[in-house]
Amino acid sequence: MAPVAGVGMMQYLRVSCVRSVVRCAAINSALVMALHAGASAAHAQQQHALIITGLGGEAAYRDAFFGIAVLLHDVAKDKWNVADSSLIVLAEDAARDAKRFDGRATKETVSEAFLKLSRRAKPGDVVFVFLHGHGSGQGAESRVNLSGADPSAADYATWLSGFTQQTVVFVNAASASGDFSRILAGPGRVILTATKSSVERNDTRFATYFARGLSSGEADTNKDSKVSVLEAFSYAQREVAREYETDNRMLTEHALLSDSSLAATVAFGGRSVSSDPRVAALVAERQALESQVAALRARKDSMTAAAYETELERLLIAIAEKTQAIRAAGGSPP
Amino acid sequence: MSGHHPHAAPRCSGTQTGANTWRTLRRAISIPACALLLGAWCVDDADRPTILAMADAGQLDDAERAARAGGAPLATTLGDVLVLRGQLRAADSAYEAAISGNAPLQRVADVGRAELSARRGDLADALARAQRLTVAYERSSGDWTAEERVAAGRAYVLLGLRDARTARQALAAFDAAWAADRTLFDSQVRAGELLLEKYNAPDAKSSFEQILTLNATHPRALLGLARVQEFEGSADAMATVRKSLAANPALTPAHTMLARLHLEAEAYDSADVAVNRALAVDSSAMEAWALRAASAWFVGDSAKFEHSRAKATALHPRPAAFYATLAESAVRHRRYEEGVRWATQAVTLDSSSVRALGVLGTNQLRTGAMEEGRVTLERAFAIDPFNLWHKNTLDLLDQMKGFSVIERGRFRLVVSPEDAALMELYLLPMLEEAYDTLAVRYAWKPDRPVRFEIFRRHADFSVRSVGLTGLGALGVSFGDVLAMDAPSAREPGSFNWGSTAWHELAHTFTLGSSEHRVPRWLSEGLSVLEERRARDGWGAQASVEFLAAYKAGMLRPVSTLNDGFVRPRYPAEVQFSYYLASLVSEMIEQEFGATSLPAMMRAYREGLESPAVFARVLKMSGEALDTKFAAYMQKRFGQALAAVEAGEGPGDVRGPFVTAMREGVAHLEADRKREAQQSFEKAQSLWPEQRSATGPAWYLARLALERADTTTALSQLALITRAQETALAANTLEAALLEARGNDKALMAALERIIWMAPYDAELHAKLAEAAARTGAHAIAVRERRAVLAIGPSDPLEARYQLALALAKAGDVPGARREVLGMLETAPGFEKAQALLLQLRAGTPPEEAP
Repeated sequence: MAPVAGVGMMQYLRVSCVRSVVRCAAINSALVMALHAGASAAHAQQQHALIITGLGGEAAYRDAFFGIAVLLHDVAKDKWNVADSSLIVLAEDAARDAKRFDGRATKETVSEAFLKLSRRAKPGDVVFVFLHGHGSGQGAESRVNLSGADPSAADYATWLSGFTQQTVVFVNAASASGDFSRILAGPGRVILTATKSSVERNDTRFATYFARGLSSGEADTNKDSKVSVLEAFSYAQREVAREYETDNRMLTEHALLSDSSLAATVAFGGRSVSSDPRVAALVAERQALESQVAALRARKDSMTAAAYETELERLLIAIAEKTQAIRAAGGSPP
Repeated sequence: MSGHHPHAAPRCSGTQTGANTWRTLRRAISIPACALLLGAWCVDDADRPTILAMADAGQLDDAERAARAGGAPLATTLGDVLVLRGQLRAADSAYEAAISGNAPLQRVADVGRAELSARRGDLADALARAQRLTVAYERSSGDWTAEERVAAGRAYVLLGLRDARTARQALAAFDAAWAADRTLFDSQVRAGELLLEKYNAPDAKSSFEQILTLNATHPRALLGLARVQEFEGSADAMATVRKSLAANPALTPAHTMLARLHLEAEAYDSADVAVNRALAVDSSAMEAWALRAASAWFVGDSAKFEHSRAKATALHPRPAAFYATLAESAVRHRRYEEGVRWATQAVTLDSSSVRALGVLGTNQLRTGAMEEGRVTLERAFAIDPFNLWHKNTLDLLDQMKGFSVIERGRFRLVVSPEDAALMELYLLPMLEEAYDTLAVRYAWKPDRPVRFEIFRRHADFSVRSVGLTGLGALGVSFGDVLAMDAPSAREPGSFNWGSTAWHELAHTFTLGSSEHRVPRWLSEGLSVLEERRARDGWGAQASVEFLAAYKAGMLRPVSTLNDGFVRPRYPAEVQFSYYLASLVSEMIEQEFGATSLPAMMRAYREGLESPAVFARVLKMSGEALDTKFAAYMQKRFGQALAAVEAGEGPGDVRGPFVTAMREGVAHLEADRKREAQQSFEKAQSLWPEQRSATGPAWYLARLALERADTTTALSQLALITRAQETALAANTLEAALLEARGNDKALMAALERIIWMAPYDAELHAKLAEAAARTGAHAIAVRERRAVLAIGPSDPLEARYQLALALAKAGDVPGARREVLGMLETAPGFEKAQALLLQLRAGTPPEEAP
């Protein structure tokens, strides 16, 4: 059975992993993991994406799930530069978009997809799993409806259990998804669920906004051209609440995030790093200036407002000029 | 209770059997008829039930005579009748005789004495007697007869003057009495009265209706039902209390209720008649003296006022209830400051009167004394935790601790943090404009900042206004304290929050310039008129239903227009009366000059009533004004009035205009567009001024769009959007067409109109900002960019960048620089902001980075 094989592979990987190093890197906010396929050899970290959408049940949901799957596929491929071999999309009707979708979403294909990614993922990589559909159940028996037998939260836990050298971002955007958070949570993992418990059974809006946050850049609150998991989660949470309020409905989905510290450090997107040493030097200088801004902000309370503002403006102008220089040299800021 | 024998014994035996028969009989026939029969046959030989039935039918002379004739055994009954006649000392003696003579129903006599002690201010004696009774009741309630159980309930009610928790025990005692004797209606009436006193109108109603099912004309049950109806805001209260009086013309509380309703309607003469009838029956009725005093105070009759006050003081050395009634009456006439003064006197006389504390605290809050109001209501709530008004208000005050307070010169805006920035951007400038306009018009200014509270939830606004949820209004004015729904409190497009705010502020000036003496019809009429003057399309417009009602004579003439507000005969009458009053105001200004309206305010301030005001300022009688206004209506709406008429039922409208519209819709539904077009054009020709959002212009615009004739569509839509303050769909469609045509100036006007209906759409504000920037209206662009930020956009940093750019283009370089530095401080990598910073530094024209 596929899950057993998957577990076997994980056991092999666990032997060679240096998990504590990955974890240390993850919690160091200065070392934000910009995940981009075009990274230089020094930034070999890769990301892998598995997108699963379940049974719609009726046309409106089928269309909605399809749209989200397409959007996330395109974001992963075009914005995050995930390699085709690391990008798997499983949906109810794979024939609807054979170019994007890799197969029908069933317990077996999902299991195989995890196995495939586990073989590709290297220590330090990021594995992004997005699951959406109609959810139900409780605790380890929580499920999302797929064709055929529905895998349980316990099944997903099994499939994830070996990704210990990687950072895993697992999103269950389905209704009644809350218990997945408790079942799947663990070190090196960020678990996001659309609801806080299995009791919140109404259809959710979280997936729409989470996907939009990743794709549109609206969620990029610090405008560093990367969207962290925390940014995407916060954006989705805020926009879901706004939609309910606008529609004058009681909020019936309360999204959960298992580890906000780690979520802040895992980011998607970003620009490729230039191999031109001139650009690299300018980028390094700009990063140093940005660190100075951070240090200045830390000292803000001990300074007069005027002195702070003068120094801030000086640094910001220097950063802006450095950006212009990077652009002029044919590079792009980090 | 022992069993009754409905088929045995003569009706007037004077025996227990006779009493039972009587009880059975009174279930079957109405009390007045029964009492008439019995009164004629056997006054001198009546038993207690018979005498009480006489009293219930208003035959107090006969009842007293019969009770006296019965001697010692009927001493308690005599006391009861004497109480109803206001002969309190004699009643007390009768009760005392009953007790000392070991007459039947001593416990009833005892509670009667306790109640009399309370009425004359001897609360210690009242409570001591009540305490004794309830202790005894709790020890051996099983032995108590139904009437004695009612007496126990009454004792608990008395104890409730100091401990509200006893209400439950009182109800239990009344219910026990009812369980013991289903003919003793008194128990259920008292239960209903207590339930209503404790704000449980549904259960109170059930109690009264239960009795009325058995006896449809039971006077006290009818009175109770009338009170429930008043509590629920039903217009039926007046009719029901009149039914009660028809059944018992000597029912003093019904007379006083009628008087109060007349007072509320500012019908002082009618109020006096009702009060006098009450006092003729019971000269010890404190409420009647208080209402008499209130009526006198309203019309400036100080001699009558002082006489009433002296009478009240003679009845009770510390007549807190008298002043509480005065306070409530003042408040019902929107004279809140005076209400606070009367209520303060009431509280001074009885610091534990929940009623007095309640009216004081509520109106302290209405006059802006927020902390004092809270403290007062907390005192009231500590005594009576059942009071829903006080609890709701205190909960709301707790919630309001988190509100933002924006102090800006002549205004203090109190608003939830989510709305604060948006209200500051939009509402404050509009209020400033309104203030300047109204101050000139009414030659008056508030002497302190106007407090304006905005609530995101309609229920909160309702509690702030009346202490309960369910108020239908959008806004309320207490003078210089105003409250209204925030735009978020209702569905987008369901109301115009700009015109609502203008309306309420107009009240500040009409109330203030008349020292709160302007009658409601005129204050409302002027507020609606001021809305129409403020912006094109704001304020009510003539509807088909309004004109049909007018034509059918379903609206009041000017001289009695106030009744349309305070005594509506059908649900829509209040709404129609608002518009009608605005037309009256408009006519007065047109026919008598712009100075006539402020002159009327001054005349009201001097204490004149409407007929005198008309005579002094307009030089005509109310009847002449009615005639003049009728002519004005004919002149203004002649063509439209010919095109509509009222149908048979409420909301049923007919006439050539309606027929043409219905034909047009039917054609449309059958996809006969050419015929539909002809029908709607016919409707428009029948009533060219008709601008409803669902009228001919809307259909003609849609039909034009189907032909891709956007010019016609726009001209038809403009008819609606310039006349209807909540035409969200028409304005949205117009904006889309204007945007496609690139007509920025007209687009901006349409978007501005939409914002006063639905301000929370960030995209709308961004669109307006873009159009404003294109037309060089940079100040508007800046405001709109701020509005986007105020709403909480999906991408806050981008919104902030757009604001900085707009500021820079508006020439506010320091402001733009401040925004840019603020953005980059938290997001130093934001490249577009970096570019703008360099542009600002270099002094080059700001341009958006790609």
